Amino acid sequence: MRGSPIVGLAVLLCLVTAACSRGGPPAGRVALALNWKPEPEFGGLFEAQRTGAFRRQGLDVEITGGPGAPIVQMLAAGQMAYGIAAADEVLVARDRGADIVAVYATYQTNPQGIMVHASRGVNSLDELFAGEGGTLAVEPGLAYVKWLRKRYDLSRFQIVPYGFSIAPFLAEPRMAQQVFVTAEPIAARRQGAEPKVFLIADSGFDPYAAVVITTTQRVRERPDEVSRFVTALREGWRGYLEDPGPTNREMHARNPEMDAETFALGAVAQQPLIEDEFTRAHGLGAMSLERWRVLGEQLQELELLDQEPVAADCFAAF
Amino acid sequence: MRRLAARVAPPTATFLAGTLLAELLIRALGVSPLLLPTPSAVARAAWSYRETLLPALASTTGAVLVGLAASVALGVLAAIALAASRWVERAFYPYAIFFQIVPIVAVAPLLVIWFGYGWRAVVAAAFIVSVFPVIANALAGLRSVDPALLDLFRLYGAGRLARLVKLELPWALPSLFTGLRVAAGLAVIGAIVGEFVGGGGLGVVVLGAMRQQRTDLVFAAILHASGLGLVLFAAVDVIGRIVLRRWHWREEIP
Repeated sequence: MRGSPIVGLAVLLCLVTAACSRGGPPAGRVALALNWKPEPEFGGLFEAQRTGAFRRQGLDVEITGGPGAPIVQMLAAGQMAYGIAAADEVLVARDRGADIVAVYATYQTNPQGIMVHASRGVNSLDELFAGEGGTLAVEPGLAYVKWLRKRYDLSRFQIVPYGFSIAPFLAEPRMAQQVFVTAEPIAARRQGAEPKVFLIADSGFDPYAAVVITTTQRVRERPDEVSRFVTALREGWRGYLEDPGPTNREMHARNPEMDAETFALGAVAQQPLIEDEFTRAHGLGAMSLERWRVLGEQLQELELLDQEPVAADCFAAF
Repeated sequence: MRRLAARVAPPTATFLAGTLLAELLIRALGVSPLLLPTPSAVARAAWSYRETLLPALASTTGAVLVGLAASVALGVLAAIALAASRWVERAFYPYAIFFQIVPIVAVAPLLVIWFGYGWRAVVAAAFIVSVFPVIANALAGLRSVDPALLDLFRLYGAGRLARLVKLELPWALPSLFTGLRVAAGLAVIGAIVGEFVGGGGLGVVVLGAMRQQRTDLVFAAILHASGLGLVLFAAVDVIGRIVLRRWHWREEIP
């Protein structure tokens, strides 16, 4: 993510030219843009590609993107068929006029949280923010940070940008930072720290995460393709949940910075966030209107939306 | 007054024409505001987020000024040291060039570890990218003193310090101001990159606006940063004129 705003802006300008020329990949081939490096959060996608689940559905999928990729803009410009975003980003993007829609929600429980040193002796977000303060590293502009600001008194914390390195956290006992439970806490523990993580979801703000999105236009014009895409995703995730080993090895080869053990531990840590009562009843990746409605209200309350959101337009069930 | 008008009119005209053209083109092509906002949308964002943008601009300006001041002070001292002897220059100048080629985006996260979060990391980033043009141009100025004048100083038995203060530094001033104009713009870029990792100022506004997909606010923040760069450039220009006007025949600013 370092320097990604610059990259993002450059890509943005390229997209403007592309939007005018209407390029795009050849028919039959679809691109899926990730918003981060290959990590367990994308396990099912790489599994679907590795095991041929996409191919069996008649799809030739190219997995692209990476940290800082302006996914929504790429979709809006017609350069990518599918992308990854969080549910709050879907609502915000729709509010800004991008006609995108969620088709598969990987994480039923949001995997983002605040990591602290266990030595602080706090047991919840309430205790953390009522306590002695310190430094809190978070990405500027995150919806859940606005949520935390509204719910807690953050005045005792110096809020600084998160640079996607846990080095400052390891060096400073009074440091707290944003994390993906499947990544940073595992890395911190492996480097000798004793971290404690509090999920944001437990404070009542719980957007679906690692959501697969596409354009409303695509759902309308090629419902069959989208349906086959979602079927392959579900099959990929089923396989990855049962045995993440082979796909972890492939993702590790693409993202050697994350070591093999962190991949293995992350895959285990995320299981309860992906599969729960709801997915057992409705299938992996399924979404509910009620949760989209609640999220819309919360984002409105946080003044992140200019217009009244329509929850039913935010997702399509397959 | 008329001369002022003659200088202000052409850039104002190109600005108005350019803005109008952009507005019309973006509207005519129907580009999504997520990809490229119209100038009027950017202006609206600048107005409605003024309570975010102006304090951020003030914070960035502060860091840029401190970083730039450090560049001038240390850069000129470094140039004097390098100019002292060919041997010193050969030994150390290659390492001064380090500052020019250091990829600031890559080292910025380290600045946070070295200097801590907040303004010190931001000032350090502004300094790192702006010090080299000061060193290089000041050194070039110090080295270009008319040999005849050096002979004259020697003839009158002037000491090393007198030669530096009365001849070499004044001689180097026009060249130093050329370096400063380059440094001023670079310091703004350095500060914003520093803010991406250290926090505060327009850098954080850009990051937050990107994440919240407010492309209009991203552009409004960038405009504030370029405005700052322009004002600094103009200020260096004006100070340069005032300093050089009295006794410098070499400086002919167009």
